[in-house]
Amino acid sequence: MGYQVCIDIGGTFTDCLTADGSGDVRIFKSPTTPGEFEKGFIDVLHVAAEGYGLESSDFLGQVDLIVHGSTVSTNALVERKTAKVGLILTEGHADILVLREGPRKGAFQWKLDYPDPYVPRRLTRTVGGRIDARGREIAPLSEADVREAARAFGKQGVAVVAVGLLWSVVNPDHELQVRRILAEEMPGTPVTLSHEINPMPREYKRIIAAAIDASISPIVRNYIGKLRAALDAENYTGDLLLANCVGGMMPLPEMLRKPIYSVMSGPTLAPMAAMVLSDEPDIIVGDMGGTTFDVSALRDHQLIVTPDSMIHDDSLGIPKVDVRSVGAGGGSIASVDAGGLLKVGPESAGARPGPACYDTGGAEPTVTDANVVLGMVDPEFFLGGKLQLRRDLAEQAIAPIAERLGSSIEQAAWGIYTTSNHNMVGAIEEITVREGINPRDSLFVCGGGATAIHIAEMADILGLKRYMIPRYMAGLSAFGGLISDIRREDSRVFLTSDTAFDAEGASAALADLRQKGQAFLDGAGVATEDQRFECAFMGRYEYQSFEIEVPFDCGSGRLTEDDLPGLVEAFHAMHERIYSIRTDDDVVEFTAWKMRAIGKRHGQDLWREMRIGPDKGAQPKSARKVWVPDEGAARGVPVWDMASFGEGSRVEGPCLIEAETFTAWLKAGHKGVVDRHGNLNVSIE
Amino acid sequence: MDQKIDADRRIDPFVMSVLKSRFEAIVREMSLVVQRASRSAVIKNARDFSCAILTYDHKLVTVEDALPIHVMSMDMATRPVTELFDDIEQGDIFVNSCPFTGGTHHADLIMMMPVYVEAEPLFWVVALSHHADTGAPVPSTYLPFAKTMFEEGMHFPCVRIAQDYTEKKDILRIGSMRNRVPELWLGDVRAQIGACRTGERRIMDLCSRHGKDTVKGFLLDWFDYGERRAKQAIAKLPAGTYSYETRHDPVPGVADEGVPVRVKITVDPDEGKIIVDVRDNIDNVPGGVNLSANTCTGSCRIGMFNNLDEDVPHNEGAKSRIEVVMRKGSAIGDPQYPVGTSVATTNVNDRLMIAGNCVFSEMGAPFGQAESAGHLPAGVGVISGRDPFKNGKAYVNQIFVGYGGGGARHGYDGWLTYCGPANAGLIQLDSVEVDESMYPIIIESRGVKPESQGYGEFEGAPAMQGVFYPLDHDMTIVYAADGTEFAPRGVLGGGDGGPSTAEKITGEGDVLTLPAFAEEVIENGARIAFAAAAGGGYGDPLARDPERVAVTVERNWLSPDAARKVYRVVVTQGDDGAWRVDQAETTRLRG
Repeated sequence: MGYQVCIDIGGTFTDCLTADGSGDVRIFKSPTTPGEFEKGFIDVLHVAAEGYGLESSDFLGQVDLIVHGSTVSTNALVERKTAKVGLILTEGHADILVLREGPRKGAFQWKLDYPDPYVPRRLTRTVGGRIDARGREIAPLSEADVREAARAFGKQGVAVVAVGLLWSVVNPDHELQVRRILAEEMPGTPVTLSHEINPMPREYKRIIAAAIDASISPIVRNYIGKLRAALDAENYTGDLLLANCVGGMMPLPEMLRKPIYSVMSGPTLAPMAAMVLSDEPDIIVGDMGGTTFDVSALRDHQLIVTPDSMIHDDSLGIPKVDVRSVGAGGGSIASVDAGGLLKVGPESAGARPGPACYDTGGAEPTVTDANVVLGMVDPEFFLGGKLQLRRDLAEQAIAPIAERLGSSIEQAAWGIYTTSNHNMVGAIEEITVREGINPRDSLFVCGGGATAIHIAEMADILGLKRYMIPRYMAGLSAFGGLISDIRREDSRVFLTSDTAFDAEGASAALADLRQKGQAFLDGAGVATEDQRFECAFMGRYEYQSFEIEVPFDCGSGRLTEDDLPGLVEAFHAMHERIYSIRTDDDVVEFTAWKMRAIGKRHGQDLWREMRIGPDKGAQPKSARKVWVPDEGAARGVPVWDMASFGEGSRVEGPCLIEAETFTAWLKAGHKGVVDRHGNLNVSIE
Repeated sequence: MDQKIDADRRIDPFVMSVLKSRFEAIVREMSLVVQRASRSAVIKNARDFSCAILTYDHKLVTVEDALPIHVMSMDMATRPVTELFDDIEQGDIFVNSCPFTGGTHHADLIMMMPVYVEAEPLFWVVALSHHADTGAPVPSTYLPFAKTMFEEGMHFPCVRIAQDYTEKKDILRIGSMRNRVPELWLGDVRAQIGACRTGERRIMDLCSRHGKDTVKGFLLDWFDYGERRAKQAIAKLPAGTYSYETRHDPVPGVADEGVPVRVKITVDPDEGKIIVDVRDNIDNVPGGVNLSANTCTGSCRIGMFNNLDEDVPHNEGAKSRIEVVMRKGSAIGDPQYPVGTSVATTNVNDRLMIAGNCVFSEMGAPFGQAESAGHLPAGVGVISGRDPFKNGKAYVNQIFVGYGGGGARHGYDGWLTYCGPANAGLIQLDSVEVDESMYPIIIESRGVKPESQGYGEFEGAPAMQGVFYPLDHDMTIVYAADGTEFAPRGVLGGGDGGPSTAEKITGEGDVLTLPAFAEEVIENGARIAFAAAAGGGYGDPLARDPERVAVTVERNWLSPDAARKVYRVVVTQGDDGAWRVDQAETTRLRG
């Protein structure tokens, strides 16, 4: 058994986690190389090889598998550098991408112009033809309109075409006809059909997904090509899998078919990591990086999927793992507004120019600067001493804040620290309160380089009882990649209700989904005994306009009338879980059926073999003064070295714990014990 | 100024941002409880509810995520309770839905619970929900033709519904008996109770964590902060007295000439204060479109806040800089008992907010904004009928297929998905496929109505329009489309927005114009075509940046011909289909 490797490209660093044949996991970092991400990808492999004391060619020759979470599609969307899409819509509905479902704005927010549609009107064409909600053809497709659209697109230099016709999810005939005609008129031009990419009975969400998918497909194709070429140049012959945003991995050809699934895929690996690190039913995962804080959660130990992710002014459309981001990172900038109120973020100094203490040109006071002033971060031991920080520059940057607030520099730093903690708590509550997760009964898993400095206070605010600081916290997403399944999800619209349940129709939809899922797993080389299928339906009470996802056991893969009471009860129970009420006498409607195909990967459980040695009576390596707000003074606390811990090592707050890639702060009353894998589990009295 | 801030502070400066975000989080959680636990569509889907926290002496603390019209005068709904009861205790819950005791309109049930900390009453937590039915003579909560409250549904004029944390079953029985959908009503009431209980618990936790004195100190600092921010914002306005008049469409038999709405404001930038005077308005009319004192006050404040910096906090301190003066017995004021007020939160009330938005334009650029569309075009009508795909089961619900556009303001064009000033662009637009899967209808078309917008240096938002029809049955539609007769006007040389219209297209293809206020049957085979009103323009069209004109053409909201005629801007289309300004020709035309 050779090495398995996960490479996760972040905004600042490209992380690489490696597991050797014995399950021993190591973490390596190298700067991200924007514009040519494949370079950073290869760089970090070289760093890893060096770490193992091997020549790159020797190391790569022993790597069986590389899994990869890329940001190339996310970046293309964020920077609006995507391919030119021609969009075909149903006659009478040219404004679907203009109207959306009413873009979100604040009640008193008026200084803004209405956002442009994702595809400009000049590249949007409508065609005659209409299907109704029951799949009946009301008007036939106008071939002439399609041909005319194709000719216009040709003149306009359209690179890809997206097609979104009303009710294609219940009767795809018109969309399929459009593809056939386009193949004649614009041979070779890639076409995305809305019912294939995002079969959801809600036109804006389905069609925006088709448009986004089409617009990034050349970019993803190009990147994958460059990545393959770079790996070929290194004579790499192992496998390569890509992370998707539904919490798993996909082989390259599958990603090329549905490139939208690569969007925002990196952060979705963090909850995957949490899933294997703990068996707790409800888990919150927080990942604080340089510019953002990303939160996700597991409910009943399952990923939470949402169709509401946003890119700029548009929905991403597809259901993806729910990860919410707020502008609260180490680089978030503090300021005092005209009325004297302290604010932190969302503006960020990012990696460039960076916090003032980095001495890389940044002068604005940031959260990291505050942490240095408070003594939480040792300027001499940042990233294991690789980057020298300057406390004097941090103080200098915070001084104007202190002056405005009429406080000492330490008090101001504490204000920045606690304000950013409250911003993050707001983001955590956003997901927990909405999804029916009680923080008081949940485990919090820390991810990213900065979370462990902030978790202690956030835990107190949230009323958390337990949190985990994983050994690979700084590379939690990459760890998630290393241990994740091969996974794909697909859905079919089939409307029925509990008053006239069509078990045949639902079974046919499930059978079709099962067959596709199996083909996917077979194609990815997953042995039959390692294949697993999870089913869910989208349901709502009659006249409710939003559906919820309800998992159910699909056993034989066929549904009969006898299964109905179970499905209905599962719906009521989930509705009560999320919305705190159930209405037993209401009609339950089923709108769509979903299937997750999950394949176990060879070696994905290897890390479980790894066991750190027993505790050898670890002692603090030093002491450092940390500012205590209640006492208005700094006070000495012990500093522990994470590397000195063994299984069963115990620490008690107040104390600091330093690892090469992070620092953790435990408050008084927070007690930690190290598990066999080297993770620090903290409980609060 | 900085020195003064320091001297006046009662708590550590960073504690203020912390407690501010904690109070906001509590209101957000209360709102989630209401939204989740409620059953009726108007609350769950249209979000017609709001939560707030006030101090026990009725000062507004925070209103996260609320509909502005519900909360900017919430103190008027809580104050009468402390005047009418002298035995308030921990565990009590009160409701108020009566405009004659400070309510908004009779369908908004305002629920409030005192929060005690160490035996001292410190706060009111408030949850307001618009209930689907009130037991009125007809199945609607908006009754434009109901002359007095005796033709309306149930009013609760400050009534205790729980004592010692226990529901008073007799009172709830009165409410559910006088209701067409008693389970729905009771369910929605209990959702509000849940929200109040959640708010109470969270505030108690907060006070025990931070200490009662710190929280009290925070409130004073927080109100000072709001006052300071509002004063700074008002200091940027030119001093003077300004007036504006707009007019609601005629309501047959109630106000045949329409309802004029006049607003006069006096701005004192040195004092940082605005006085809004609405006394010069007509007396109460014999119908439901009279405002309540609560909505009148709230709408006056909203118009002002719409013109101040958006990040001025909407708390007591900021509110205190805006004084509202109104008259007893005026349609735009404090209603004379027992006149009808069931429509007090929309139509004429929308016009009052519009007048408040627009009066600032009398100061000249860059102040104020143009008129926006009002409310209830046919695109947001209530549809009903018998569903042929569900064995003739009855359905009735409000749809949100298309609504009116926002007015322009200096620097920005109007907001497209606006839906009247009370909704402020917060209402979700229906998905065509969701509507068609829920009701037996086909939405043949739905989109933007090009060239309906009021032109100007900044353009109003165009209207939405559409055509829809029932499948295999007869469908009834009820709506009250203000802006049919008096379309939204432009300001400072800006053009007017297009009016609201509705037509029935019969099976034979005849087109019949429908009235502004209608209850119309659309027979099987017939269709209804609607357009909402569009926003008015701001400033001289000839001053519009040619690049903005090109963007509007690009969006297909304006033809190249109209660009040339209205704006004297010449645009040409490149090979890629993009519209660009022909600088030379434009300069020549504009001279």
